[in-house]
Amino acid sequence: MLDVVLPVLVLGALALALLGALRRIGLWRQGRPSPVSVLGGLAAMPRRYLVDLHDVVARDKVFANTHVATGGGFVAAAVLLILVHGFQLESRVLSWALIAASVVMFAGALRVAARRRNPPVRLSRGPWMRLPKSLFAFASGVFLVTLPTAGVVPASFGGWALAGVLTLVVAWGIAEMFLGMTWGGPMKHAFAGALHLAFHRRPERFGGGRSTGLKPLDLGNPEAPLGVGKPADFTWNQLLGFDACVQCGRCEAMCPAFAAGQPLNPKKLIQDMVVGMAGGTDAAYAGSPYPGKPVGEHGGDAHSAIVLRGGHEGGRALVDAETLWSCTTCRACVEECPMMIEHVDAIVDMRRHLTMEHGNTPNKGREVLENLATTDNPGGFDPASRMNWAADLDLPLMSARGSADVLLWMGDGAFDMRNQRTLRALVKILRAAKVDFAVLGNEELDSGDVARRLGDEATFQALAARNAATLAKYRFREIVTCDPHSFHVLKNEYGAFGASYTVSHHSTFISSLMEKGRLALGEWTGGRVTYHDPCYLGRYNGEYEAPRKALKGIGIKVVDMERSGFRSRCCGGGGGAPITDIPGKRRIPDMRMEEINATKADVVAVGCPQCTAMLEGVVGPRPEVLDIAELVAAQLVAAPAAAQRAKKDVAEEVAA
Amino acid sequence: MAQFDALFQPIQIGKLTIRNRIVSTAHAEVYATDGGMTTERYVKYYEEKAKGGIGLCICGGSSVVAIDSPQGWWKSVNLATDKIIPHFQNLADAMHKHGAKIMIQITHMGRRSRWDGENWPHLVSPSGIREPVHRATCKTIEPEEIQRIIGNYAQAARRAKEGGLDGVELSAVHQHLIDQFWSPRVNQRTDEWGGSFENRMRFGMEVLKAVRAEVGRDFVVGMRICGDEFHPDGLTHEDMKQIAKYYSDTGLLDFIGVVGSGCDTHNTLANVIPNMSYPPEPFLHLAAGIKEVVSVPVIHAQNIKDPNQAQRILEGGYVDLVGMTRAHIADPHFVNKIKLGQVDQIRQCVGANYCIDRQYQGLDVLCIQNAATSREHQGLPHIIEKSSGPKRKVVVVGGGPAGMEAARVAAERGHDVTLFEKKDALGGQISIAARAPQRDQMAGITRWYQLELARLKVDLRLGVGADAATILDVKPDVVVLAVGANPFLEQNPHWGAAEGLVVSSWDILEGKVAPGKNVLVYDTICEFSGMSVADYLADKGAKVEIVTDDIKPGVAIGGTTFPTYYRSLYPKEVIMTGDLMLEKVYREGDKLVAVLENEYTGAKEERVVDQIVVENGVRPDEALYYELKPGSRNKGQVNIEELFAMQPQTCLAEKGDGYLLFRIGDCVSQRNTHAAILDALRLCKDF
Repeated sequence: MLDVVLPVLVLGALALALLGALRRIGLWRQGRPSPVSVLGGLAAMPRRYLVDLHDVVARDKVFANTHVATGGGFVAAAVLLILVHGFQLESRVLSWALIAASVVMFAGALRVAARRRNPPVRLSRGPWMRLPKSLFAFASGVFLVTLPTAGVVPASFGGWALAGVLTLVVAWGIAEMFLGMTWGGPMKHAFAGALHLAFHRRPERFGGGRSTGLKPLDLGNPEAPLGVGKPADFTWNQLLGFDACVQCGRCEAMCPAFAAGQPLNPKKLIQDMVVGMAGGTDAAYAGSPYPGKPVGEHGGDAHSAIVLRGGHEGGRALVDAETLWSCTTCRACVEECPMMIEHVDAIVDMRRHLTMEHGNTPNKGREVLENLATTDNPGGFDPASRMNWAADLDLPLMSARGSADVLLWMGDGAFDMRNQRTLRALVKILRAAKVDFAVLGNEELDSGDVARRLGDEATFQALAARNAATLAKYRFREIVTCDPHSFHVLKNEYGAFGASYTVSHHSTFISSLMEKGRLALGEWTGGRVTYHDPCYLGRYNGEYEAPRKALKGIGIKVVDMERSGFRSRCCGGGGGAPITDIPGKRRIPDMRMEEINATKADVVAVGCPQCTAMLEGVVGPRPEVLDIAELVAAQLVAAPAAAQRAKKDVAEEVAA
Repeated sequence: MAQFDALFQPIQIGKLTIRNRIVSTAHAEVYATDGGMTTERYVKYYEEKAKGGIGLCICGGSSVVAIDSPQGWWKSVNLATDKIIPHFQNLADAMHKHGAKIMIQITHMGRRSRWDGENWPHLVSPSGIREPVHRATCKTIEPEEIQRIIGNYAQAARRAKEGGLDGVELSAVHQHLIDQFWSPRVNQRTDEWGGSFENRMRFGMEVLKAVRAEVGRDFVVGMRICGDEFHPDGLTHEDMKQIAKYYSDTGLLDFIGVVGSGCDTHNTLANVIPNMSYPPEPFLHLAAGIKEVVSVPVIHAQNIKDPNQAQRILEGGYVDLVGMTRAHIADPHFVNKIKLGQVDQIRQCVGANYCIDRQYQGLDVLCIQNAATSREHQGLPHIIEKSSGPKRKVVVVGGGPAGMEAARVAAERGHDVTLFEKKDALGGQISIAARAPQRDQMAGITRWYQLELARLKVDLRLGVGADAATILDVKPDVVVLAVGANPFLEQNPHWGAAEGLVVSSWDILEGKVAPGKNVLVYDTICEFSGMSVADYLADKGAKVEIVTDDIKPGVAIGGTTFPTYYRSLYPKEVIMTGDLMLEKVYREGDKLVAVLENEYTGAKEERVVDQIVVENGVRPDEALYYELKPGSRNKGQVNIEELFAMQPQTCLAEKGDGYLLFRIGDCVSQRNTHAAILDALRLCKDF
């Protein structure tokens, strides 16, 4: 009987799955066009899956092995099942292979089940809780129905009754594994995930590459929407990407806004996008909600507004604006996502709509954008006062020099008394190393970082174009800056407008000066030092080593925090978050300072004006916050007895 | 906008860019040794301000351009010789290295000087009228001398320029020669140098032209003027506006500094450097009035001591730069502390005027509360570095100025410091001094120490009168005794202190004894304490006579402070009597009779009063010292050769069990606040 039922079951399920796939593809195709190479993407997919994706998954070794067994076992079993039972290929070898695959899958399912017994909070519940059972059903059902095929037991073994039971078990397994894949269910991730890898909007990320610059909006095209107002405004492959989510919650576990109790959970956001794409409410969502926002109150469809205007006053749509404005754009979620989903892109896309279509940038956002429009700096300072910090330094101006080896990009920290100390320290170092450098002076404008993260693409593009035009007037080998945000934008986001430069973060530049022996330096004799990786230097640009090398160059052995390197936690200062200032239960910099304090450090070394401001804003007791440039400048031996200087003098020297 | 952004706007003066709006204006330092040269002490004093972030220093108040304007009395800078040029180069390099600018005030003081020394010159002035503050007689200047002195100015400016300084400020303030010509009160000439406005302006104008011709356009030339002489027959504010505009309109000036008040009488002099009895920026309106009519930046100093105050003044646009001169004498790192967000750590000037009052006595300018100022060259630090030696347990006994400074410095060195003070609050005698009318700001000294000791986590044990057992219980490595002293009423047993016939000024000021109705204050010290207690009593409604065996009550108080006491005492009809010694006191009924004897005739007179307050200084409290001395490793001895050379005490480096014992301040012998703080700093900086 099984040889009659099974082909029908398998082939029927395949046909239904195919229908489901077409429906799913239809959902994705609601999105706007995004040209991809279909064949190239499909061809690249296995490698992307086996290498790039697996690299991320393998950060959790145990679960990576579990997934290899379960997923690998399933894929093999599914193919063999179709051959052996669907098309009735009579081959003992294939049957034994199918048995072996089902055993491997079963073994993997055991670990899945073990993890589901007391799952970490980041994992979603709901249908995901039945998945281990479905895996067991599939694996054991396939195992048992294949025993006769392999000749282990006679074809008539067990009679009708057993055959009936087995059919039901196999049907359950197949329903979960085949139909669930395309009609929706935990296994959807396999189907959507594979295609997402094939048609990823940032293919540069695969093969060890990095792609973190935001994609420009085509402001010249009156047809193109300004950002994403409704789910259908996403590109089709973004929608596909949302569908790839496995709800593992690794993003949730890393998100600083979520940890701070702000109303954002990257996992929930992606699931909401899935809800929006398919239509419905979030009632079925079975993971951690946005802090302070109960599940079941939001919903929408592909062609309705994602955010209700004035939504916080009553009515709700798919997502509340404050969820979108809670993000610090730190990329911790993206970095952690095993499916390589692009959360930050999606958030900025939706912010663009709120800011440019509705002017709904909350709190200080509008003021900052107005400042940028009128003064070219977010603080609204007199643009002619950009060089005040260096009134006594006689800095060479590009306008007078025309060319220099290094263009020192000051950033808007030039207006900030705290960051001026960092800039002055950096100038001291450049001068000590006899670097040929110049600044743009008052010709420098804000890089556009904050405008862009706040969704004001128009202001960003205008600033970028004007800065690029200024830079085009001068000759220089590289740009050096102590501001990772300027660094990122100049390096990764101006390129889309035809302006590309060699850009170095000052820590990179300083460590190369050290390597070339151009700095005479004493040894640090202060206390313990930890280092806080800035998101826009680390995760955005992969520079984790140079700051540590620069510190090592003055004899500092960095005591790393538990969250450091690519897992560094944001200071809370990115993405305009301090400007939009969405309340939570705690402040992100306070949490970060707790982690810093846990190292018992006397000094936390930083490499970003934003991080400096956020961390210095934390009430004591806390370690002193000093930029790498300040620490290095204090050790320049030109200053007599620099080696004995107590740490408090570091700040004194630099302020001078 | 940031809290202090107005302070940190750079400004152009002539062709010079000043990095911020904070200036140390010209004041006489009394440090130019070797015949008026800017030697090491001078350079280091200014370099500290440059290191501390100041924008501009105008050094050398009343630096002379000619040999008939004596400099030796106040060791002012001598620009009458080319010998100054290399010294200026040292000064300029030291300042420029840290990004600050440096100019110098140049002047001929005319009659405002002393003739009885150095070259014994005949002082010159437009009409030969005597100057009262210096009791200076003078001759009427002749046109040939006028021309010579104009040339002297030009040569002096050349020397400043060749020495690498950034500019000169012509002093036409304080009744120097230029403004002696301006003032009809002292210029009664009828030739081309006096009479009409233009004639009175002529000398200054010729000086300005000659200086500008000598130095060219690229060198800053400014002028300091007064905003109103405050003399009934002197130049008024409207006169000064006319004068300022007249010079400014020539286009030859790069800036104008404005000082409120003339200063050729004791009373007006007190206005020029307003002490703690004045409100903040009392003469800003005069500077603002001048700014209205001129087209160059205006600098104004006078009681601007606080960064918020400076920000408010600049934000209001009253003037372009703020002079914070005494503020920088008290804390040369003033600007950096603002930038570092350490405004609470600024040691703020309290207006005690110890600095300027020493200067008027021809003594080097020192700060009542910062002993490191102008001792940088000797190695006294403004920023105390952490010790690299052993961490010590330091016990300081006494919370007066010596004790507070000792605790601060020892804690900055990184030691574990406990301070015992028997009263419930820090301050010691400063707290008593601050109880008098107009003297409350003395408490600002204590306020800073309170903040610093809290920041440095000194273990403060207030209300604990530590005895030997309490101290040794802490197991100290070092004990610093700064327990101070007590009023010395027992010197003459006939005063009857033991019988309670007289009380001390402390008893009155601390409120232990209620003020009488008819009070005799007997003051042998003639400094602040006696005047303060008389003022306090009069303020409470008592009829007061203050008597001294010295020349006059308050005679030992400096030139900018005795006038403010007099301003307070005279209206309250306090009688001030000199030359009488208090021989004895006896009781007659419910009255007290004071028997006074004239110092010079021996004649006796009596006063019948209901309260007698004796201010006879203090006697050190030595009991604890002698109790602890035998058990100490160093037998309580301070090696004074090392101390005076600012070297570490050798005993600190010696190993041994037990404690080292030092005593400082008034518990050794009576001196003053500055001396107490200096004792502590120079001893404890090497702990």
